[in-house]
Amino acid sequence: MGLNGLLFAALAAFAVASALAVVFVRHTVYAALFFVAHLMALSGIYALLNAPLLAVVQVMVYGGAVMVLFVFAIMILDANELEKLTQGGSLKSMLWAGGLGSLLIGAFFGLSNRFHIASALAPGAPEGSPGLWVDNVANLGRMLYRDYLFAVEATAVLLLVAVVGIMVMAKRKLE
Amino acid sequence: MMNIDLTLTLSALIFCIGAMGVIMRRDPLVMFISIEMMFNAANLALVALSDYFGKIEGQTVVFLVIAVAAAEVAVGLAIIIAIFRTEKDVDVDGISNLHG
Repeated sequence: MGLNGLLFAALAAFAVASALAVVFVRHTVYAALFFVAHLMALSGIYALLNAPLLAVVQVMVYGGAVMVLFVFAIMILDANELEKLTQGGSLKSMLWAGGLGSLLIGAFFGLSNRFHIASALAPGAPEGSPGLWVDNVANLGRMLYRDYLFAVEATAVLLLVAVVGIMVMAKRKLE
Repeated sequence: MMNIDLTLTLSALIFCIGAMGVIMRRDPLVMFISIEMMFNAANLALVALSDYFGKIEGQTVVFLVIAVAAAEVAVGLAIIIAIFRTEKDVDVDGISNLHG
C-alpha cells in the first residue's frame, strides 16, 4: 500500500462518486461540473500510473477545451428546457439501466476471476525497473513521431475534416 | 506500479456508470457526457496496462484517442445543436426523423 495506495483509493472513490453524480444529478450544468471533477480525479490517477504527460493533457484538453464546448452547448440549448427532461425518469428505464449495469459488472468480475485477466496475460515490468515516469515526455514524443507518425498525421487530417464539417453545419440554412 | 486488478476494476466500473447514464437519461448533453465517460474508462484501462507492462505504447494510443475524442465532441455537439435548431425540441425520445 503506502502513500500511493492511499492516494489511489481516495482518487478512485472521488472518480466513482463524481461519475455517479453526473448520471443522477438533475441539472445539466451541475452534471457538466461533476464531469470536470471526475476528469481531475482521473488525471491524478494517470499521474499515479506513471503517465505525467497524459495527466496534464487530460486537464488541458478535456478539462479545458472539451468542457468549454459542453458549457457553450448547454448555454445554446437552454438549461431550463433540458432540466424538464430529467424529471420524468421512468421506473422502467431505471430498471433497464440497473439491470444492464449489474450485468456488465458481474460479467467483468466473473471473467476476471475465471481467467485471472491481468496476471495471465504476461508478467509485468520487472521489479525495480526505472518505469515510465523517467523521460516520459521524450519517450512519448519519440514514439508518436517515429513509430506512430502515420497515426498522428491521420488524426491531424481527421481534426481538419471535423472542423470543416462543423463550419458547413453551422453556416448552412436549416429547414 | 499500481495493482493492475484494482485499476482495471475501476475502469470497468466507470464504463458501466457511463453506459447507465446513456440508457437512463433523456437529456442529449448528459448522454453525450456519459459517452465521454466511457471513452475515459477505456483510456484508463490503456494507461493501467501500459504501466503494468512497463511499455509506453499504451500511453501513445491514449494520446491519439484523446485527439479523436476531441474531434468527436465537436462534431457531436454541432449535430445536437443543429437538431435543436430545426426541431425546437431537446428530448431524444421525440427525434425520430431517421426512423423509416
